[in-house]
Amino acid sequence: MKHENRRIIIVLATLCICFVVLIGFMSYFQVFEAEAVKSNSYNKRLWINEEKILRGSIMDRNGTILAYSQENDGVMQRFYKYGNLYSHIIGYSHRAYGKSGLELSYNNYLLDLSESSTIEELKNIVAPSTIGNNLELTIDHGTQEKARTLLQGKKGAIVAMNPITGEIYAMVSLPDFNVNSLSEDWSVISENTNSSLLNRATQGLYPPGSAFKVITASAILDTPNIDTNYVCQGITKIDGYNFSDYNNIAHGELDLSQALIESCNTYFTEKSLEISVDNLRSTAELFMFNKNIPFDLPVNTSVFPKGNIGDTELAASGIGQGKVLATPLNMAMTASAISNNGEVMKPILVKSVVSNNGKVIKTNRREVLSTAVDSLDANTIKEMMVGVVQSGTGRNASIKNVKVAGKTGTAENASGKSHAWFIGFAPADDPRIVVSVILEEEGSTGGASAAPIARDLIIYGLNNINF
Amino acid sequence: MFNKSISTKTPRNLLLLFEILSLVLLLVNQWDNIDKTIYYIWIALILIIYISNFILNRITSGDNYIFLIVSMLMSIGIIMIYRIDSELGFKQLLWFIIGIIAFYFTYFMLKYIRGWKNWGKLYIVLSYILFLITFLLGTRKYGAINWITIGGHSFQPAEITKLLLIFILAFYYSNMDMFKDRKYSDYILMGLVYSFIGLLFLQRDLGTAVIFLGIYMVIQFIHEEKRMNILYNIGLFAVGGTLGYVLFDHVKVRVQTWINPWIYIDNKGYQITQSLFAIAEGGFFGTGIGLGNPEFIPLAYTDFIFSAICEEMGIFIGIGIIMLFMILVYRGFKIALNQNDKFFRILAIGVSTLFGIQSIIIIGGVIKVLPLTGITLPFVSYGGSSILSSFIALGILQISSEDMSYKEEEYCETRK
Repeated sequence: MKHENRRIIIVLATLCICFVVLIGFMSYFQVFEAEAVKSNSYNKRLWINEEKILRGSIMDRNGTILAYSQENDGVMQRFYKYGNLYSHIIGYSHRAYGKSGLELSYNNYLLDLSESSTIEELKNIVAPSTIGNNLELTIDHGTQEKARTLLQGKKGAIVAMNPITGEIYAMVSLPDFNVNSLSEDWSVISENTNSSLLNRATQGLYPPGSAFKVITASAILDTPNIDTNYVCQGITKIDGYNFSDYNNIAHGELDLSQALIESCNTYFTEKSLEISVDNLRSTAELFMFNKNIPFDLPVNTSVFPKGNIGDTELAASGIGQGKVLATPLNMAMTASAISNNGEVMKPILVKSVVSNNGKVIKTNRREVLSTAVDSLDANTIKEMMVGVVQSGTGRNASIKNVKVAGKTGTAENASGKSHAWFIGFAPADDPRIVVSVILEEEGSTGGASAAPIARDLIIYGLNNINF
Repeated sequence: MFNKSISTKTPRNLLLLFEILSLVLLLVNQWDNIDKTIYYIWIALILIIYISNFILNRITSGDNYIFLIVSMLMSIGIIMIYRIDSELGFKQLLWFIIGIIAFYFTYFMLKYIRGWKNWGKLYIVLSYILFLITFLLGTRKYGAINWITIGGHSFQPAEITKLLLIFILAFYYSNMDMFKDRKYSDYILMGLVYSFIGLLFLQRDLGTAVIFLGIYMVIQFIHEEKRMNILYNIGLFAVGGTLGYVLFDHVKVRVQTWINPWIYIDNKGYQITQSLFAIAEGGFFGTGIGLGNPEFIPLAYTDFIFSAICEEMGIFIGIGIIMLFMILVYRGFKIALNQNDKFFRILAIGVSTLFGIQSIIIIGGVIKVLPLTGITLPFVSYGGSSILSSFIALGILQISSEDMSYKEEEYCETRK
């Protein structure tokens, strides 16, 4: 009898342990595995809304329709009018390959699944909508097409934006892919080595080279009691490492303005040491290096090395080499800040979300992210950048009757072929368009190859954009 | 007295609250094409549960909780089944009423008829007859031949055989004095149980086979005096299991889809992955009744009802169901500990083990802790024979919770 009771309790305990294990596993599953399981493309729930709701259209700033959906015999079909042109901005919504770009980040708006308030949610439950919301982009379709034509045949990215509002006019990344033929091209797209799926404009991290000198110049102006004069001998030795100028040409006696115009490497390496690493880093961080840039698409964070770096690396950082890395978008924002009295604007890609019956559901407003330099210093640097285009390395970007400000960059990298950079804006006194151009592994200087592209795009933009 | 009225009224009222809330949700959800049956369901469900709990308190001198626990399980089940298919929900409500009748019928049969512990041969013969019927008349459903159809109603004889097995084991171990003198009687019992398991294997009803084995092992572990027999049993199980895996393809498939269902997502692993999608989608609090998509889960109203509940009511209700079964099993074993009549004690252990193992196997199966076997979740899944046998089992547990000594005395007196 006593034995029996003991054994009954053993069996009971065993069963209870089994129950507790079930509870434990369910909790574990929900916390750690559920997200991954849910997003499996075999989960029909992912597509149930797609079958019931007409996905909203996407249009540019002038109302040109870029993507739309249509119902054919109860099946919703998505159409992209410009196969390659918006592959990194709008992306795709595809049953087998999932979603990307704005199709992903604005999915709930496009399907009108917004969960803004309890009342909205209740309304959705009682009377679910059947037509999604439309997106109005800040993109100018003409400028976007022009930018892609200019970049055609090269690897790299172009960002064109409004320096005062942060609105993006064009954003191109090459190589790209055709969103209308994903199923045929997928194996090539996903396996080839030139990463056409990557949006280089926001996610490509490149050494900014001399284009970074704009930031170093800001730091110099911010450092009290610094001697801004220097005699350039074409080469300088820092901690046993030689920094030389382009073709080892000595610039002679220079002030800050001349140094920026001639893009003198020895000047900026020597001055970086005087600025000190902490000040240079904090200035770079005001220009959004090491910071998350809030945006409608995924953005990688630009890098300025952290910690106590040695003199050699500090000197390299001052001319945008070493471990400094920047996204083309971030460099466009850097030029914006100089043109905009030092204020870094939040980049905006989606102007507003508008419901089917014309009600504005969401508007992305102008927002200052940080004040990188005071307006006096910003205007000083602006004048220097005008000088770069008028008489310096950026002469290829000059336009008749329009004052263009800019900075070139030629960034050395592991591939052996240098990246060509140009960042700039125009008109200098009333800036309306900022352009950032990078040509990946171009093998020539920014002044020679990137500046003409920027010039052509600025001319097109000033003449055609509906500001 | 005061304490007692508090202790059973409170859960009863909470249960009422739960039913009202979830039925309101159902009503809101089906506002567009409202079906009159929902009012009947509403009133009938609440009345049935309220009245039967009320009556039971008057009749029984035993446990007051097990029926409350089962009422809660039934409520969740009926609401979910009604949400998936209103016609089935209505049918399930009818089965619930039949189940309650079966419960009281079993209760009074066991209470007033004597001699249950002497009819071992009858139980054995009945079991074999049920197996025979299954093989002769059985139809294949979901890969297993375990259904017979009589007059348009499908029935699963193994549901009744399960209970007969418990009676056979109770008969054997409570009459130990009689069997001690007979040589090999323990081996005959083992052979008998394994013949059942073998027959179930041939019917491809793996889940039920495991339940049979589990019940046998538990009762043997508690009551067998020759402890060596337990080792033989485990050995036999190991050999049988390995042989089953090697010989039968359907066993292999179960194990493969348990280890990694994702690579068979198109075919063999379809059921289990759909079940996991549903549970993942539900999160902790569920999508809300009527707002999920349990129609994507195959057999959502029977074997996979637990996944459907997790999707719409969240894993908190899922955990609640597991805990309800835990309390039910705990009450069952407590009843066994307090029961002095050996026959009824073994019945109580058998029935509690049945509830425990069956719920663990199917819940573990749909959440991929155990290989999936197609059995029902007692009191929650849709199905006439499952509800019927579960309520008969509950009736057995209810009677076992009462003091049986009077019966023993009367019985002895009549014998003299």
